[in-house]
Amino acid sequence: MGQRYCGNDAKPMMMMRRRRRRMLQDGSTQLLCLTASSGVPLFTRGASKQLPFSVIGSLNGVHMFGGGQGVVLSCCQTEGGGKVVWRVFQDSVMLIAVSGGGGGGGRSGAGGKEEEEAEEEEGEEEEVRLQRLLENVWSCMVLVLGQDELANVRNVERLKRDLRSCFSLIDQLLEERHEGILGNLTHCADSLLPPNPAILQEAVDAFAQAADSEFGCLIVHGRIATATEKWWRLAPQEVVLLSALIRSLSASGSSSCDYPVFLPQGSPTVAHRLLRFQLLPGADACVLCGPTPSLHRAETGLVVRFWSPLLETLRDCLAVGERCLPGSVSLRPDVLAFLLINRETRRSVCSVRPSTCQPLSKARCWELLKLFYIFCISRYFTQEETLCVSPEERTHRGIAEDFAAGFSHQPQQCYLVTEECKSYGLQTSQHQLYLLILPSVPTFALRTVATQTLSDLTAATRF
Amino acid sequence: MQMAFANVRHCTEKTLSSGRRDEDGVGHEDGSDSESTSASFGSSDYSDDLEPEWLDDIQKNGELFYLELSEGEEEAALAQATANQVASTNHVRFSEKEAEIITEQHKKQRCGSRTKGEPALKRLARILRRKRRPSLRRGGKDGGKDSSALSPPASILKNQPGQRQGVTVQQQQLKEVCVYLNPKRLGGSSSPVCDSGGLLEALLGVVHRPAWSRGQGEPGDIRQEERLTVHGLIPNSPAIKCGQILIGDVLVAVDDVDVTSENIERVLSCIPGPTQVRLTLETVAPVDRGSTGDTSSLHKTKASPPVSQLVRLLWGEDTAELQMSISHIPHVVMYLSLKLDSASPQDEEEILYQYPVSEASSQLKGVRGIFLTLCDMLENVTGGQIISSSLLLGKHLVHVGYWKESNNLLVIGLPAERVPLLYLQTVVGDVVRTLKVMYGSLDRAFCKVDHTPRLDHFFCLFFQQLIQPSRLREGASTTTTPPDVSGTLFLDGLPAVRWLTLPPEIKTEVDTVLSDFESSDFGEMSEDFFGLRRLYVILGSCLFYKSYLIANHLPKEDLLDVCLYCQHYCLLPLASEQRVGQLVIWREVFPQQRASKDGGAAPGYGQPQGRHFLLIVGLRHFMQCVLLEAGGCASPALASPGPDCVYVDQVKATLLQLEVLEAGIEERLNAPPAPCLSCADWFLPAATARDRLDSLASSSPVLSKLAGAVRGSSSGSRGRSLFGEKSRRSSPQRSLSDSGSEGQMDAGSGLSPHSTPDSARKLGGRRDSLGSGGSDGSGGSGGLFKMSRMKHPNPFYLGTLKKTLTERETEEMYNTMKLTSGAENTLFHYVLMETVQGIFIAPTHREVAQLSGSIHPQLIRNFHHCCLSIRAAFQQSLPARGRRAADRPQSAGWGLGPVKEHGVLFQCKPENWTDQRKPAPTMTYWVIGRMLLEPVPQEFYVCFHDSVAEVPVEMAFRLSFGLAL
Repeated sequence: MGQRYCGNDAKPMMMMRRRRRRMLQDGSTQLLCLTASSGVPLFTRGASKQLPFSVIGSLNGVHMFGGGQGVVLSCCQTEGGGKVVWRVFQDSVMLIAVSGGGGGGGRSGAGGKEEEEAEEEEGEEEEVRLQRLLENVWSCMVLVLGQDELANVRNVERLKRDLRSCFSLIDQLLEERHEGILGNLTHCADSLLPPNPAILQEAVDAFAQAADSEFGCLIVHGRIATATEKWWRLAPQEVVLLSALIRSLSASGSSSCDYPVFLPQGSPTVAHRLLRFQLLPGADACVLCGPTPSLHRAETGLVVRFWSPLLETLRDCLAVGERCLPGSVSLRPDVLAFLLINRETRRSVCSVRPSTCQPLSKARCWELLKLFYIFCISRYFTQEETLCVSPEERTHRGIAEDFAAGFSHQPQQCYLVTEECKSYGLQTSQHQLYLLILPSVPTFALRTVATQTLSDLTAATRF
Repeated sequence: MQMAFANVRHCTEKTLSSGRRDEDGVGHEDGSDSESTSASFGSSDYSDDLEPEWLDDIQKNGELFYLELSEGEEEAALAQATANQVASTNHVRFSEKEAEIITEQHKKQRCGSRTKGEPALKRLARILRRKRRPSLRRGGKDGGKDSSALSPPASILKNQPGQRQGVTVQQQQLKEVCVYLNPKRLGGSSSPVCDSGGLLEALLGVVHRPAWSRGQGEPGDIRQEERLTVHGLIPNSPAIKCGQILIGDVLVAVDDVDVTSENIERVLSCIPGPTQVRLTLETVAPVDRGSTGDTSSLHKTKASPPVSQLVRLLWGEDTAELQMSISHIPHVVMYLSLKLDSASPQDEEEILYQYPVSEASSQLKGVRGIFLTLCDMLENVTGGQIISSSLLLGKHLVHVGYWKESNNLLVIGLPAERVPLLYLQTVVGDVVRTLKVMYGSLDRAFCKVDHTPRLDHFFCLFFQQLIQPSRLREGASTTTTPPDVSGTLFLDGLPAVRWLTLPPEIKTEVDTVLSDFESSDFGEMSEDFFGLRRLYVILGSCLFYKSYLIANHLPKEDLLDVCLYCQHYCLLPLASEQRVGQLVIWREVFPQQRASKDGGAAPGYGQPQGRHFLLIVGLRHFMQCVLLEAGGCASPALASPGPDCVYVDQVKATLLQLEVLEAGIEERLNAPPAPCLSCADWFLPAATARDRLDSLASSSPVLSKLAGAVRGSSSGSRGRSLFGEKSRRSSPQRSLSDSGSEGQMDAGSGLSPHSTPDSARKLGGRRDSLGSGGSDGSGGSGGLFKMSRMKHPNPFYLGTLKKTLTERETEEMYNTMKLTSGAENTLFHYVLMETVQGIFIAPTHREVAQLSGSIHPQLIRNFHHCCLSIRAAFQQSLPARGRRAADRPQSAGWGLGPVKEHGVLFQCKPENWTDQRKPAPTMTYWVIGRMLLEPVPQEFYVCFHDSVAEVPVEMAFRLSFGLAL
């Protein structure tokens, strides 16, 4: 790598420029993984069409070249909302996320949701999303393979092969298929509030204990309904990733499985066993345990013993469904969607009103909620994850510009009036609440709606 | 021909101006003003040379940047600094050549160790050059002038350090005294110069009798190397005024140039115009009192140099020193060629321009390959040009903005803590547009070698303003608060100019004067008079008073172009903080709207193909920018014409004519804020009502009267009631019952019959709409605002009412005016931008200053920071219209959809809360931004206390009533 890096690549660059064809489709995100030291591609995911090898090489090359000059390239933005984000993990793996811009200009109002579903958000907010994506992908690789294998790459070919086992999980992160799962973004465990939490809590505790484990949880519709205390003590990111893993495992359709996992922060080098049992379609019980018990023994002995008496309760739980709230809790009719985060326990509940009784489609609501969350945290509200992330993570977060740090006074609430709806964000010492509200609600009433919703929710569920 | 012109012009102007002086001489409160005018006119009498002062500064390409501080300013600064000055300069002209010399000298400075002697060399070089200039000008400008100018002072300086050493060994003390000299007054004064004292007496007022010190022996013929002992002082002279030159002192040096009786006359004669010089004096026997005074004042001088860094920077001095002070912060601007010729062996050949050439930029320069490669590659990958990237250099996060034009790429790297990524694009866009206005295109700006020094200066200003704005202003204003970087970013980034609403009668007068000027009817001066084709067509002009735009006759885009130029060269703050003696700027410009062609106007109408010139003339606090067109209707411009004296003088005459109105404008500035503003500190319980009153009373004379009245009327303290509330409690009934209604009627009758029904209808309409304020944010229809407790017609049209009301009533009305509803006035700050006209209004600096308080400035900083975010949200959600940098398509895609309104609630606590037992009191306030597209595109940003559920759209409407152009 000489003084002028671009000298060597200049010729092919110019050739390519003439073609004037974009390689990435609108709104799609491509993830590139390479070894940091040698630049050998390990895998690429996302986007139907893979980027040409020369482009991958250049993207990696510019970052390496900068590294040699003491300059760390972190992200790039192009017109139309395209973004490239680089990040090196453990000095061994380089992850690059490239997202194509929307290109097509403004959105055409509230109509045509289904087509627009594919189109993703852009702008400054996109960067937050991509940064999160890279973090999650790395953690996910650690979760499956363990840190040792990733940090000290001895056999690249073998690593490539091994990494295939992560693909389903990574694809899940990339595609964000599951509606209503925001944990990847918030790093707060998506929860579902069951109608009768006490019985379930008891069952989970007893079940975990019988399986010689302190870590157990019940997952309903991909969200955590109850979990043992220790489960909540895991790092928030681990809880989120385990939930994602369980979702992808249960999507495979098997009734039970035994899966080795490394905990990216708790035990990145020693694997644990994740036992998953399907209780009902959509409801899974999981434990993290050591060598015992065997999957068979647990399935035949423990599951039946602890869960068969609770089938009715579980059915009630499933009936809560996407709403995530027990029927007893009523929301104001003008609230379209909400995301409530408990800042202390790092749990979140979110819900969208069915589209029959509102002008916006569900998908659009989820998208707006996500975007509004990113908007708020990237500009006004702080994230307290800094408490539980690794030092490496913390230094990295230091480089991202902190717009919120520029405020001399503390932002507490904010709202946004757009054509489709009104959004309101509110932060207290314990909670963060993000709301989408019907556009017909007068702006000055938003605050009342928000505070009332917060007190309703917290009072009814003790969340 | 030209000379004849000039002659005639001067004569008439003189008579004109003297006549005018006689007329309004009484109106001038400021004695020094008229004195200085007369002095400057006198100077032209004396010198017998009818050329204006700036004539020598015109450069080869016809451009001119001439800045001279007024004498009043200089003397005020002097008084402030109590005479002793370490470094001071004045009346320096900025030109290409000087900039070059300075850099050259700084290179020398790096090699050599004699830093002390260096500035002297520079200063003297300048003085001598100035002296030589006229003759050189006539002899043609040759490149050798610099070296020839430099050599003589070097020889004088050689023995300087040695001599100074010798002086200091003596028991005697050296003291430095700064005096203000104006050689131009020599002519005006009646005292003849032919006296034996020469310039030393006439200019400085120091009497030196060579015979006295030498004894009666040898008469005059051997006067070599005689020390300049002060034998006497002339009354009213600069020397005696400064009070530090004592009889018996010995004058050792002038501006670090050692002087003796031999060379003193020569050195003093080098002073061409009003300036401040530093005299080094040797006191014979330091008296105790004197010496202590000296040392103390010496300490003071360090604190406040009289001429702000900004002015020095504009003059083209000291860029290296300023640059050094930010060298640890990475920043760079590069213009890179994308056409890589890999065959060519030359290194760094792709760098067409780079600034600064220092360690600050070397690392960024090293990785230019990244910028080039990314620019080349990403377009294919994501389908859009790269606009920014973020890099981490050590601990600094740097945002890099890109701008691609044809085959070249402009790269600007800025520290993230100064420019948030959200606003980087606006900053880069503004720089690009400014450059385009100045040079036509980026290629033209960067690819000409002889533009380099000017670009260096341009970017030096750019980075200084962004990275250390406080340093530029130091000396001019002694603010201790941290600079409001976001505020500067936000207000400068708005595609609008700060507007000052004026009372209608003043406004009309200003407009009339401007229109008179724009009609180009210069009488005997005009080309018509001589039967010639016009040199220029005046396209329009705009007028600034103390950084506020008070009249604009330019189309919006042209106004923005002009304003960008003024902003970049800090001309607006300059005119508000310092009295400009004379400012003349002339250059060719390329207005973006006119350059873009296709116009889109009526079919069959083509923009005339002409060249455009910008003429900016500043006098004291007034500044007028005139856009001229050559070609088209006027005669085509050949080569690069310099400023035409006639036009400059006509603008000056216009400004002089406008000075009559200064009192009226000042009155407007001094008036209490028209929409009432509250200070944030009042809402924290720490401050009692009485404190509030006192602080107000002390800060504003108008309010102090009122405060007294209030204090008298409501003696019992009502706990935490607000000042505004108190006065309101006494006044509304009154203003409603008698003065209010009466005044309203009077105003109605005073207005023309045409407008009366209209305004009445407006009032009625507004009353009708009372209570319908439940805005749903669906965009402002006219009936949405309520005037629940507004007792008077319209806060902004008070100017007309004012005449009919007594002063006291007016004051009361002012104080009861508020934008917010509810019992208390809760408005802290606002910015309203009128996109069509390209203007915005915000509380004036003085209004903000009056509120003082400790939290309020913080709040305003916060407000501006928040506005950055709000405006970025507006911009991102908008299709690409109304942007300054119009030719770049807006980054599309903003998933949230078009944003109409965005608000953030903040909480603040007093800073150092010591009371452990009680929790700190808190105050919450909203910052809300709203964008209206109908009926007129507007953006407005308000900041108000949280106590009232306010509907901001109402405020916008109320505010916008004041904006009648």
